[in-house]
Amino acid sequence: MKIEKMLQWIVVFALMLSFGSSIGFSQQPAPPTNVNAFDTPNDNGASVTITWNKSADDGVGAKTVIGYNVLRQSPDGEFEVITESPLKAGATRYVDQGAKGGPACRYIVRAITASESTVDSMATAPVKAVGNWFHTGKKWIFLALILFSVAVVYSIYHARRGKEIFIRRIPGLEAVDEAIGRATEMGRPIMYILGLGSVSDVATIASMNILSQVARKTADYEMPLRVPCNDPIVLNVVREMVRTAYVNEGRPDAYQEDDIFFLTESQFAYAAGVDGMMIREKPAAIFMQGTFYAESLILAETGNSVGAIQIAGTDSDSQLPFFIAACDYTLIGEELYAASAYLSREPMLIGSLRGQDYGKLIIFGALILGVILELIGITWVTTFFQRVG
Amino acid sequence: MRRQVPLALCFIFGLVMMLAEFSPHPLSQGIRKEIIDWSLIIWPFALVLAVASLVHTHWIRIRRRAEYWQYSYLVFIGMIVMVVIGIPFGKRHPAFVWMFENVQVPMDATMFSLLAFIIASAAYRAFRARTFEASLLLAAALIVMIGNVPVGDFIWNKVIQFGDDLPSTARQWILDNPNLSSRRGIILGISLGVISQSIRIILGIERSYLGGGD
Repeated sequence: MKIEKMLQWIVVFALMLSFGSSIGFSQQPAPPTNVNAFDTPNDNGASVTITWNKSADDGVGAKTVIGYNVLRQSPDGEFEVITESPLKAGATRYVDQGAKGGPACRYIVRAITASESTVDSMATAPVKAVGNWFHTGKKWIFLALILFSVAVVYSIYHARRGKEIFIRRIPGLEAVDEAIGRATEMGRPIMYILGLGSVSDVATIASMNILSQVARKTADYEMPLRVPCNDPIVLNVVREMVRTAYVNEGRPDAYQEDDIFFLTESQFAYAAGVDGMMIREKPAAIFMQGTFYAESLILAETGNSVGAIQIAGTDSDSQLPFFIAACDYTLIGEELYAASAYLSREPMLIGSLRGQDYGKLIIFGALILGVILELIGITWVTTFFQRVG
Repeated sequence: MRRQVPLALCFIFGLVMMLAEFSPHPLSQGIRKEIIDWSLIIWPFALVLAVASLVHTHWIRIRRRAEYWQYSYLVFIGMIVMVVIGIPFGKRHPAFVWMFENVQVPMDATMFSLLAFIIASAAYRAFRARTFEASLLLAAALIVMIGNVPVGDFIWNKVIQFGDDLPSTARQWILDNPNLSSRRGIILGISLGVISQSIRIILGIERSYLGGGD
């Protein structure tokens, strides 16, 4: 009888233990589920992305999961923690940046509780990081670039047939002759400032193209052309370019290498140096074309104070108001890039402007369409452009 | 030949750099990095020529006794002192850092602070209400200026007592709507201009940077 009683108690105690463990006494949280590892798309083959569904105990209950560690299988088959510190509760994604060039490997996501007990997910299938040849996220930009390029190239070759192409008047460029003529009459030099951009900035290249056209005219008029540079490479390219322009105009003797010189790389020292030259030499015409920053107004106001005719142009939209306020003419944004074609009047260059206008027409149409559709409650156009952007 | 080689190089490198922008593969990114590294090599050589140009310019100024030629001696003194300390001891040497922090930085700051006065004179010219557009500009500028300072809302709310925070709300509306849309229009034009210019250069149609001519 005693033995029966004792057995009864043992059974009851065992049942209580097993019941208790299932309802809350256990320290083991539920594991993360649906763990998936895949080669990160559109990257250089350096990473693998791991995603998972949160543990059922993430952030709730007595077995609260406070974070996750991700483990990668090493070549010897062991799993090693690759997260520097545990990811916070709620995390469902991790990018392993250390997977470059390694063999295919498996991953495990480990849930951690406050009491430091852990539970591992199932291991993923082996996955290897591979570099992608094409960034699919940029496919629409690539397509737009191709279409726009085709439009520009078509317009260029269309222009070769010699058909007259209308381009609107750009007062700032029409004033170039006026400015050089004025300097000639006054017998004062012309100053050309290329801004602070390096030779890899498209605005600086556009500025150099304008300088080439200006140099041809100063060669004709035998006017001194002063070009203070702030970038060593720009200095050397500009010297060679202006020299060639003078040679092409049949005036190599008029070229003065000393007039194209290096001032400094420091932004405000450059501004101070150029301002000093303006005040001392009082140029009759000042061209400011290229990339400008805070020094734009310092230069333009000084030029204004010495009474020079000033033609500015920049693609720095934050500096445009300053030039508009202080200069006689300002090339706004794209006009800077059209200047070379406008001044040279070469049909092929002018043709490219027509292609540029086709691009603007398409964007303009898309904007109007987007506004109309948005107003009548159709949002797919704006959603599409937001996704592309 | 003197023209063809630079044009061919420009075409090849321009195309490679453009395609590399759309290809994250290690090979294409490696080529891109290699090209950039090579282009960096040009810089030290160009710097030597630039320093020679600077020395030559100031030497000529001293020799010809040009206006304020005495300042050219300062250029040489500054240059020699920085080189004498910078090259043997490095740019982290306390003397080098001291000169940078106590000579160049204050002078840069002085030039930068001149902007406050220069902006005032430029704004005075720009905002003279002679035409309808200038008047519009003046009105918009006044609203933005009043909305930008805390005292603007204070005066409006406490003294005029007509609507809450109207100056800052109006300022934000101007910045977010007419201002932003016109800026974006300019940026769109610039972007198309950059692509068009790049195509002209890559295809060798734009040759002005080679000095013009055929």
